Amino acid sequence: MLEPFSLPFFREGLMEILLLSVAAGLIGSWVILRGLAFYSHAIGTASFPGLVLADGVGFPAAVGAFGMAGVFTLFSGALARSKRTTSDSVTGLILVGSMAGGVILASDVFNSGANVDTLLFGSLLAIDSGDLLLAAAAAAVSILSLLLFSHHWLARGFDEASAPSVGSGSGAYDLALMAIVAFTVIAGLSAVGALLVAALMVVPAATVRMVTSRVTTLQAGSVILVAIEGTLGLWLSFKTDAPPGATIAMVSGVVFAIVAIGRQLRLRRIVAAAATLVVLGGIAAGCGDSGDDSGSDGLRVTATTTQVADFVSEVGGDRIDLTRILQPNTDPHDYEPRPSDVEAVVDASILFRSGGTLDEWGESLLADSGSSADLLDLSYGVPVVLGDGEDADPHWWHDPLNVAVAVQEVDAALASAAPDDAAYFKRNADAYLARIAKLNRQIETCVKKVPEGQRRIVTDHDAFGYFTNRYGIETVGTVIPALTTQAQPSAGDLADLEQTIRDEGVKAIFPESSVSPDLAEALARDTGVSTGYTLYGDTLGPEGSDGETWIGMMESNTDSVVLGMTGGSQRCGPDDG
Amino acid sequence: MAVSDVGLMTAEHKPVVIADHVELGYGGEVVLGGLEFAVPTGSRVGILGPNGGGKTTLFRALLGEITPLSGGLEVNATSATVAQTDRSRLDYPVSALDVATMGSLARLPWWKRPGKTERSRALEALAEVDLADLARTRFGDLSGGQRQRVLIARTLTADADLLLLDEPFTGLDSKNEERLERLIDRLASSGHTVMIATHEVEQAERWDLVLCLNRTQVSFGDPAVAISKPVLEATYGGHIVEIPGQPNLGVLPAHHHHHHHESGKQS
Repeated sequence: MLEPFSLPFFREGLMEILLLSVAAGLIGSWVILRGLAFYSHAIGTASFPGLVLADGVGFPAAVGAFGMAGVFTLFSGALARSKRTTSDSVTGLILVGSMAGGVILASDVFNSGANVDTLLFGSLLAIDSGDLLLAAAAAAVSILSLLLFSHHWLARGFDEASAPSVGSGSGAYDLALMAIVAFTVIAGLSAVGALLVAALMVVPAATVRMVTSRVTTLQAGSVILVAIEGTLGLWLSFKTDAPPGATIAMVSGVVFAIVAIGRQLRLRRIVAAAATLVVLGGIAAGCGDSGDDSGSDGLRVTATTTQVADFVSEVGGDRIDLTRILQPNTDPHDYEPRPSDVEAVVDASILFRSGGTLDEWGESLLADSGSSADLLDLSYGVPVVLGDGEDADPHWWHDPLNVAVAVQEVDAALASAAPDDAAYFKRNADAYLARIAKLNRQIETCVKKVPEGQRRIVTDHDAFGYFTNRYGIETVGTVIPALTTQAQPSAGDLADLEQTIRDEGVKAIFPESSVSPDLAEALARDTGVSTGYTLYGDTLGPEGSDGETWIGMMESNTDSVVLGMTGGSQRCGPDDG
Repeated sequence: MAVSDVGLMTAEHKPVVIADHVELGYGGEVVLGGLEFAVPTGSRVGILGPNGGGKTTLFRALLGEITPLSGGLEVNATSATVAQTDRSRLDYPVSALDVATMGSLARLPWWKRPGKTERSRALEALAEVDLADLARTRFGDLSGGQRQRVLIARTLTADADLLLLDEPFTGLDSKNEERLERLIDRLASSGHTVMIATHEVEQAERWDLVLCLNRTQVSFGDPAVAISKPVLEATYGGHIVEIPGQPNLGVLPAHHHHHHHESGKQS
């Protein structure tokens, strides 16, 4: 029951949540008392353009977030004080502006990589010393600010109109509160993410607020409740293998609901009993679900993406114990690690990753888990690379020649980790390489049957460069103009694309299986082309689909592309080779 | 009545407030003009006028929140306001003592928290308004009259000697009304100057001075002299007998203005 506590990354996550509970509880109390809940929620999201800027220009993410939060606070404070609008509508206004600014920066200025998204979704399982330091600083700042300002916050919150006559007239006190709320939110950003950090500040304090009529009790109670709910949520997430941030938010929400209902019914004892039940129930649920990975005694390896897992599994066969981190059809750009992912990395001998901006979190997962696993970045060895350095297109596996090289690297890595099984791995690798070569010939033959003038496609985002490059297909446009799926096209982009589709006689747009097809479908409606042919881009398909394996994915993609290019008159199957 | 005349009337002290041709307003636009009065220390001043007549603007000027557009406004006192209690947040987690203690912030440096001294001072102030036994009660749980007195205690903790009461009798029952009137009398006799915005002409008649406002100063002085039918008509715009929505706080017709209420002037 207590075994998670022996894991170093669990202890770091716990330390982080306990440090955060000081600032979140103390400042959260004032967020509740002064009606700043919406503001505190908005400020995390509003830091988005700061994160994009930091990523694009190349300065630390925390600086970008703080800078943006500072601007946001000053604007909110100034606009709210002009009294023309209520502070909530001001906050909403600036929130929308910030998000819009962030999206424009990400889409049109920097063509941001996927790592921007990971900044918005932090994780308690990937805490480094910088995060701990920031949380400790937030704790210190919140205590200090309480000593200096809270008597003025109290007087202003009680009765702002007559606050001047008791010496609390200055709006600077409110600005200080807003700045400290911002600081706390940013400190929690890397731990639980922009969306959940507000839950950490607002929900526990609101819960305590219902049962106390004293400010000191509210403050102390909130700190304690955040610490309890944080610890319980983190521990539960280990037991149920759910993302910790979301689990903590769930626990807080349930406790809030119980207290609220009980208060409504005036059932103090029942409330206390129910809250205890939730805690005990959580512990029981955690205990009931343990000891699942007895597993085989093969070489333990972990793979980040579905494609990489497929290559490793083809070579390793039943002599390895493979953990796949990403599940099929999950966009790797929107990933938050689960406890089992971290445990898998801790126990693994080798962590295989796809490389580039696609699974950068793999590297921090390895570093933060304290694992001694070797990291093999398959993108380093591939012979065909589109783009340079940081801007390189990470979707290299859409070219079979790259995959052939990656498979040989997987073979070499497995053989050196388990020399006894080297011959077995070699046999598997050779057989797989033969199938890859055959697949390559098949695709070449099939694509060549399409008249040269028709080999043109429009895809969803830039994931298919390697495929079109290999087989002489021209990509005349992409719906999302960047390598990350978080970017958005402008109206002008779409109008240009529609013109291109008409001019070039393109017959189909290919939505990608893990990205929403809405935009592609809207384009198709305007231009009369088909969107019926889905391509597998960032991930393999689920079990039982055509795209379950990499070879199946390539066959399915080829068939779709040929069907789409020829307006449905021609297709490809395994017989074409 | 000229300023100097009032000064002569109460010769011993320098007046607490002296307004000399004062015009008040916001952004250059005059909201209240023609202010010409002097308030001696320890007097009770009723302020009559319709809503929007300039009472709030006058209070803000006396608190130093706005400066006159023209003329000279001299305030020789620490002023503090007592707002209507429904403007305070009743769900706020503060006790009567917490609220009374807030007044001490006015005397402390900004970074200093109220300590033991300030709290015992606040307790004394609560005792002065007869609320010592309810010091630990949550502010929101008190009655309207009790809340009003807590806010007065807050101004006492702030060491204010010019108290500005904004329609303090609104919503009080007759018992609490009497109690508050006695408190005002007591404050005045202990050297506080109290200016009370009210809608009740009868009350204003019982106090030392009255100031009638309707975007300009209509009249000022001893109520016996300063309140008359034409003055009230100018103040309230003609024939209004009752303030809409506040049936108990009627402006009485002029023929009632003969001294029914001498007993009110008890100190």
